[in-house]
Amino acid sequence: MSGRPPPEAPARKKMIGERVPLIDGIEKVTGRANYTADFLTAGALVGRIYRSPHSHARIIRIDVEAARKLPGVVAVITGADCDKTFGILPIAQNEFPLARERVRYRGEPVAAVAARDEASAEAALRLIRMEVEGLPAYYEPAKARVLGAVDLHGDRPGNLERDVHNEFGDLAAGFAAADLVREDSFDCAEVTHVHMEPHAALAEYDAERDRITLHSVSQVPYYVHLMVAQCLGMDTARVRVIKPFIGGGFGARTETLNFEIIACLMARAAGGRVRFKLSREETFLTHRGRPRTQIKLKLGMARDGRLTACACEVVQAGGAYGGYGIVTILYAGALLNGLYDIPAVRYDGYRVYTNTPPCGAMRGHGTVDVRHAFECLLDVMAAELGVDAMALRRRNLLSAPTKTINDLMITSYGLPQCLDWAEQASGWRARKAGLPPGKGLGMACSHYVSGAAKPVHWTGEPHAVVNLKLDFDGGITILTGAADIGQGSSTILAQAVGEVLGIDLTRLSVVANDSRITPKDNGSYSSRVTFMVGNAAIQAAERLKDLLVAAAAKKLDAKPGDIECLGEMYRVAGGQDPGVSLNEVIKEALIDSGTITVKGTFTVPREFQGGKFRGAAVGSSMAYSYAACVAEVSVDADTGTVRVDKVWVAHDCGFALNPLSVEGQVQGAVWMGLGQALSEETCYHAGLPVGANMLDYRVPSIVESPDIEVKIVESMDPNGPFGAKEASEGALSSVIPAIANAVHAAVGARLTRTPMTPDRVLDALVKARRAAASGGLKRSA
Amino acid sequence: MEYMPEFTVARPSSLAELVAARRANPGAHLLAGGTDLVANIRRGIVAPEHLIELTHVAELQGIAETSSGGLRIGAGVTLAALIEDERVEATFPVVVEAAHAVAAASHREVATLGGNLCLDTRCVYYNQSEWWRAANDYCLKHRGKICHVAPKGDHCFAAFSGDLAPALMVLGATVEIASADGKTRRCALPDIYTDDGLAHLRLTADDCLLAIDLTPPEPGLRTGYAKARVRGAIDFPLAGVAVALRRCGADLAELRVALTGTNSCPLLIEGTRDLVGAPLDADTLERLVGLLPKQIQPMSSTFTPPGYRRKVIANLTRTLTSRMFDEAA
Repeated sequence: MSGRPPPEAPARKKMIGERVPLIDGIEKVTGRANYTADFLTAGALVGRIYRSPHSHARIIRIDVEAARKLPGVVAVITGADCDKTFGILPIAQNEFPLARERVRYRGEPVAAVAARDEASAEAALRLIRMEVEGLPAYYEPAKARVLGAVDLHGDRPGNLERDVHNEFGDLAAGFAAADLVREDSFDCAEVTHVHMEPHAALAEYDAERDRITLHSVSQVPYYVHLMVAQCLGMDTARVRVIKPFIGGGFGARTETLNFEIIACLMARAAGGRVRFKLSREETFLTHRGRPRTQIKLKLGMARDGRLTACACEVVQAGGAYGGYGIVTILYAGALLNGLYDIPAVRYDGYRVYTNTPPCGAMRGHGTVDVRHAFECLLDVMAAELGVDAMALRRRNLLSAPTKTINDLMITSYGLPQCLDWAEQASGWRARKAGLPPGKGLGMACSHYVSGAAKPVHWTGEPHAVVNLKLDFDGGITILTGAADIGQGSSTILAQAVGEVLGIDLTRLSVVANDSRITPKDNGSYSSRVTFMVGNAAIQAAERLKDLLVAAAAKKLDAKPGDIECLGEMYRVAGGQDPGVSLNEVIKEALIDSGTITVKGTFTVPREFQGGKFRGAAVGSSMAYSYAACVAEVSVDADTGTVRVDKVWVAHDCGFALNPLSVEGQVQGAVWMGLGQALSEETCYHAGLPVGANMLDYRVPSIVESPDIEVKIVESMDPNGPFGAKEASEGALSSVIPAIANAVHAAVGARLTRTPMTPDRVLDALVKARRAAASGGLKRSA
Repeated sequence: MEYMPEFTVARPSSLAELVAARRANPGAHLLAGGTDLVANIRRGIVAPEHLIELTHVAELQGIAETSSGGLRIGAGVTLAALIEDERVEATFPVVVEAAHAVAAASHREVATLGGNLCLDTRCVYYNQSEWWRAANDYCLKHRGKICHVAPKGDHCFAAFSGDLAPALMVLGATVEIASADGKTRRCALPDIYTDDGLAHLRLTADDCLLAIDLTPPEPGLRTGYAKARVRGAIDFPLAGVAVALRRCGADLAELRVALTGTNSCPLLIEGTRDLVGAPLDADTLERLVGLLPKQIQPMSSTFTPPGYRRKVIANLTRTLTSRMFDEAA
């Protein structure tokens, strides 16, 4: 008789590349999830904010005495209660939680009340009086920049928060070498996030111990922690920040917001617990969305469609305060590179203060409007040269690995595959020219960073830390500071740890975002979490696996190097022995050690952190995602309404750790781009937001939502966790120009303003008809 | 959240109880679905001490066939119920079409026919929060002295934005109104409106719209509704047009056109009778569209420019009328 065959190895659980539903989805769809507003426990005072009715004024006096005396009112605070500013970059923290000396936009917080009930808080707000001396207000960047305009912050002549002037390569030579040079101007309206959950915060002050606990809606609890400590003048050890479930962020919550600090100031002033539930209008007033962006773009091209040079001037109306402004204006220029091979690029960026709610980060931070302009102008030039739009892009591809002229390191590049699929799936070649009048196909490409390579706060710490805790129960708890804002980061971390250890979700749980429990994380912005925290999670899991392998070796009396991990089973590789179960291995591992905690970290190597020029850090990343999009539209000649019938979008996310989640993110990006392309726009009447509600700020409804076909392209990034890159922001920028190019294909009208609302489209149709008619006359003459 | 002040709510179950409730609560506001009123209360535009909920008033409910073969539709019938009613769909499809165009599915579950007909006029300077309007010195329609749309005049240009009124107008609907003492009277639908953004309803404070009466349509009548808006759901009409026409052979035999969104009240367009008796050719269509400019007055009461609303209503009227004429063949 021959010997027994080796026992069949129990299948090692595959956790990545699987369509895993989000691990917190059950709580969300059943309503069990607790959002910040759900923590409004009994005894919390009602907090309300008194907001400036003035666009720009010197504060003479704020009279809160009557409000303070009103029965039911517990505390009233004003700018006098906090003389510390907050913000992002240490050099641009110029915002007080409550205005002092000046107000700079309508809606700026000036005072706050805490009362025992809603009615008293409302009544108290109406008793507050504000005496001011009016100052000229600027809503248009051109007016704010005029010589002699009042300087909003007293230290920025011409209200220029930051101007950027960078040139890479030989621009003059590039344009001289071009056979075709075209220049056009684009004007993209300010848009805002409209996350489903309006802002809310619950702050509790422990007067006996002088400690503060804040529940808030932040994407960046760590930044909030720092700013609360800074503005309250408290040691960071006395501050605790908790991020419960969040109803969306999209960048709105990537900086500390005024109401979060106000809630803490108020809790201390009132000596207890205060909750703020902001209205939708107040959420609009808090803003920090994408600034209105005016772009002047000039491109040079050889006859064959090869780009020879690019000159781009960008003006952003940034609103009244610094916020992320410097970063936004730098991003707008930095990502002119990294998508195509361009030998020479000049960028001039101007971030201007205006008397409107502050702008900041929004999905595709800084890059979306510039990409729109670029892809539209490419379309114009392709037509002039008689080169197909897809072919034109193919003539300008990069070849990875490479370093761009502005020192971006491109390590993986799936754009060619994205183009191939989008072309095939949409039937581009066969259908492009044959669609009936009023229908058109358009395309565009885009890219985005997988995490800003350099953190905002340079502390010397790793960029990401993940802790794992293994205890007697055999459960593994993943402790992370990464904020799951609906993008699914907690799920991805669980999948990554599960993959390394070969176990499924039944043993895994994620605890995220309580500064007292979880390790610090820089936060959910710049699509950094999957890449950086994912890599940290892998390292932590590998370290835990090493401990388990050592324990199994001890148990099996073998060398660790001979141990094979099968997830729920450990055994001697190639042996006849069935091995030991994970539960037994864990028991062995806990002997003498007790509860095991391990840590994984991740730091972006220096060579990926950008070049040496000023502002080089912004735009630098360890990896870039790529996307190609085709949109099919119908334009109603009666109403000017553009209907997007179908969108094909291919996204190179390196490797899809969770294809279900990637598809959802890409669909979301398409939908957000759709809104910006067609209907979304913040409008102001003398600085008052005209449509600060979900009726007038027109986020697309399900009726407008097209059929979306998503293709995941996997270029396997050498540095990404299991090869993964960014999956949520990159596709957005391609959607808007793809729609604009499709509108042009459908009706011959080229709109240079976004959104392409029915009135603008109808005007453009009339113009295009007139131009065609006069062109026709000329030809016949 | 927006602040919601305190108020009392009475729930009469009959017209008689409604009359009594109104007597007991002078100045009370009538509440049907609340999709218009509640938003306005939260914004501080109305601050009622008392609300009278109409949901249970029997006389406002139900869709019934009349002796003439038409329909009596209670003002309290929800738009969802209106859409689902097979008799309405079969006989007056334009009513269903217009009801479908209102807001979104969830609104239509509670919003009522009467509420849509009595919808407050809307303006970008008016439908804002208390803080917003105070910062803008209020406006002629509420607490203020000037109209920000036309600052030199003393007229309010807030726009009527109901979708159902034009559809019912081209069908020649009449309305039943109950006055303070519970007595009812009837009038043609256009007669309850006047082109004044401040007071576009010719109903007294004590009147209550009870029902809409529709007589059976003339044989061969074709009807349709077209609405201009940015989104295919939720949005109020930037402009809307309802058309009812009949053909006799190659000729147009009858034509009624009514608009919404262009003025402070819905408009039954005058002069359409002059176009009948001839085929609906391009010239006739232009004459029809030529009737509009003198009768409509879209102003900057929406963020979408009034020029667009002028152009689009002309386009929609032309295309819809032409389509109805072709379908009537």
